[in-house]
Amino acid sequence: MSEAFTKSMARNIFFGGSLFFFLVFVGLTIHTTRELPERDHRENINEMVVLGKKVWEDNNCIGCHTLLGEGAYFAPELGNVYTRFGNSKEAIKGFIMSRPVNGIPGRRSMPQFNLTEEELEGIAEFLKWTSEVNTANWPPNIQG
Amino acid sequence: MLNTSTKSPLPGDVAMWVLILAELSVFALLFLTYAVNRQIHPELFFNGQQQLHPIAGSIITIALLSASFFVALSVNLFKQQKSRRAAYAMWTAVSFGLVYLAVKSWEYQQLFDLDIGLSTDSFFTFYYLLTVFHLLHVILGLGLLCYVASKLLTSKWHEPNIMESIASYWHMVDLVWLILFPLLYLVH
Amino acid sequence: MKFQSQAVAKPYFIAAIVLFIGQIIFGLVMGLQYVIGDFLFPAIPFNVARMVHTNLLIIWLLFGFMGSAYYLIPEESETELYSPKLAIALFWIFLAAGVLTIIGYLAVPYATLAHITGNDLLPTMGREFLEMPTITKVGIVIVALGFLFNIGMTVLKGRKTAISMIMIMGQVGLAVFFLFSFYNPENLILDKIFWWWVVHLWVEGVWELIMGSILAFVLIKTTGVDREIIEKWLYMIIAMALITGILGTGHHYFWIGAPEYWQLIGSVFSAMEPIPFFMMTLFAFNMVNQRRREHPNKAAVLWALGTAVMAFLGAGVWGFLHTLAPVNYFTHGTQITAAHGHMAFYGAYVMIVLTMISYSMPMMRGRAAANSKASQTVEMWSFWLMTVAMVFITLFLTGAGILQIFLQRMGDSPQNFMVVQERIQIFYWLREAAGVMFFIGLMTYVASFFVKGKEATLKG
Repeated sequence: MSEAFTKSMARNIFFGGSLFFFLVFVGLTIHTTRELPERDHRENINEMVVLGKKVWEDNNCIGCHTLLGEGAYFAPELGNVYTRFGNSKEAIKGFIMSRPVNGIPGRRSMPQFNLTEEELEGIAEFLKWTSEVNTANWPPNIQG
Repeated sequence: MLNTSTKSPLPGDVAMWVLILAELSVFALLFLTYAVNRQIHPELFFNGQQQLHPIAGSIITIALLSASFFVALSVNLFKQQKSRRAAYAMWTAVSFGLVYLAVKSWEYQQLFDLDIGLSTDSFFTFYYLLTVFHLLHVILGLGLLCYVASKLLTSKWHEPNIMESIASYWHMVDLVWLILFPLLYLVH
Repeated sequence: MKFQSQAVAKPYFIAAIVLFIGQIIFGLVMGLQYVIGDFLFPAIPFNVARMVHTNLLIIWLLFGFMGSAYYLIPEESETELYSPKLAIALFWIFLAAGVLTIIGYLAVPYATLAHITGNDLLPTMGREFLEMPTITKVGIVIVALGFLFNIGMTVLKGRKTAISMIMIMGQVGLAVFFLFSFYNPENLILDKIFWWWVVHLWVEGVWELIMGSILAFVLIKTTGVDREIIEKWLYMIIAMALITGILGTGHHYFWIGAPEYWQLIGSVFSAMEPIPFFMMTLFAFNMVNQRRREHPNKAAVLWALGTAVMAFLGAGVWGFLHTLAPVNYFTHGTQITAAHGHMAFYGAYVMIVLTMISYSMPMMRGRAAANSKASQTVEMWSFWLMTVAMVFITLFLTGAGILQIFLQRMGDSPQNFMVVQERIQIFYWLREAAGVMFFIGLMTYVASFFVKGKEATLKG
């Protein structure tokens, strides 16, 4: 009779199973990208939001903060900072602008990035747009 | 367990049974979360179930059971060295599988016409994930059955390990439906 | 060493260890910044230290993976490496790219680095773990292609084993999924979804193939168990890893704007993700128990068993702890994630590279099979120091995370992030202490290379 546990069967299960689940994953991803427009409100992505994302990346904000829970855990969540700051872009801009160059003695400090008015407006628009994404009610509360 | 020389009491390959166990665990977890969610939203799940066709589900059940019967028959014929008849039995099993595909597509079409999709509500999220996931297993299983059936026709083929493994896989797919069907369509 | 050209792995491993030291130093800096907020501010802000910490990890693990492949592939293929010269050239290119990138991080503000490296032309920077300049990413792709060509040609002219095939598949997958790092759409949500195609499909996908093949290779060599048995286990383990891991990507899609069905898919499939790691633990212990010979390199066997256990604990158990959507709703983006990340990376990937180094380095340094008993003793001390330290780091971060969730995410009057961070400081101090212990362990590890003595010999 045949061997009870063969290498060729194990190999076929590896190839077949991986391919099968990868295709399922690709299919689901395609479905997801089709449903996304209703959840991310991409119609609201204007030039300022695009600029804001670039500013966000060029200053490596993700190195301290989380955005929708992803990033570093050193500084507060920013996915909902727009609502936490009372739906105010001005408050966000004011906070970023007013960071002291040499930090706050003894405390975790955010660097002074010397952003231009346009860049500040961009980052605020970007965070406003992010706060409007449908994230299945995450975070649990306003504190992020 | 690691010793390969002892004959395993399982038909087919241990590797296949590891896969079957994993697949059954996935389905079991899905059924469990389904049950929990149904407890939380009984009304929503009840209303969702009203949109389904128990008769279509029954036809599928019969088709899958018949397919399993012919797969088992084919394995027996194969063991009796009746390769050609085993092949015919296997092709019959495949055609019952095609009945499943046809009825299931018709069912999906009905729901699409009502504009019911994956994100309609949590009942239909479960419905589509469970049934499409099962459907994909059937398609994979049918592919394997076709492979065996065509090999059987080339007479010289003698791989009881592969034959039994694939048959076991098919029975697993069938078994999952036997739980899935009453859970989704019948139990209120 | 069966083939001369296997020795090209040596510089790769040395670079890996040196960069590992750098990674841990910056880890200690960050740990201190968690409790003394203005430490080194504004010279090295936290985000820079973190970038150096994580990118050094990635670079040195890639050095380790490539070195492992250069050592393993010729031996498996029973032929010399296609081009040792190419391997050495790529080593210097990769080292230069890596070191220059790190210097860039430290020397100028990140925005300046982004500007001078042309991030405006093709923006790919500023995303977690993919912070390196676009030009560095291109460099990584070129090095990866050259490397794949080299080991591919080697396998083609020699024996093809399951281990070498899986190693190559893992390395090809690593290169292919890295290409998604060049996709950076203006839509943050799309960006996030495909960012995980690099990060998740690396660490819970193709990297596991590399890990599996290294572990299988070292187990064959040290236990003498039949290749046939080891290879079919390997296939089953990686089959389960990919079957559960690919759809397991869904556990990252719960709260980033993707449709809600991912909560179901992600929870179910990632609940199964501990299984391959558990199988790996069973596999490693079974093979060692069934060993047909006593290999003199006890340290390598210890690392191999250690990696199987710690990968199961870190990736399997600590991953499962917070992977179910209702739990993850509260734990997402807290110190719980950090706890899991630390133990999983150490257990699965740091330890597998150290396993390979431990096994192969003695031979590349001209010994028959193993270092001296004294050297191995020091190495085993370093194993325990680092591993126990990592267990403590994980436990303290878990404690911090639980408190953080309790204070910041639950109850009627949740507290502000910064306030909560102040209140859980004690855990960060303890974590930093455990970090110092880890560093001592790492220094002990380095010291073990310089312990002389009579070589331990084969018996039986």
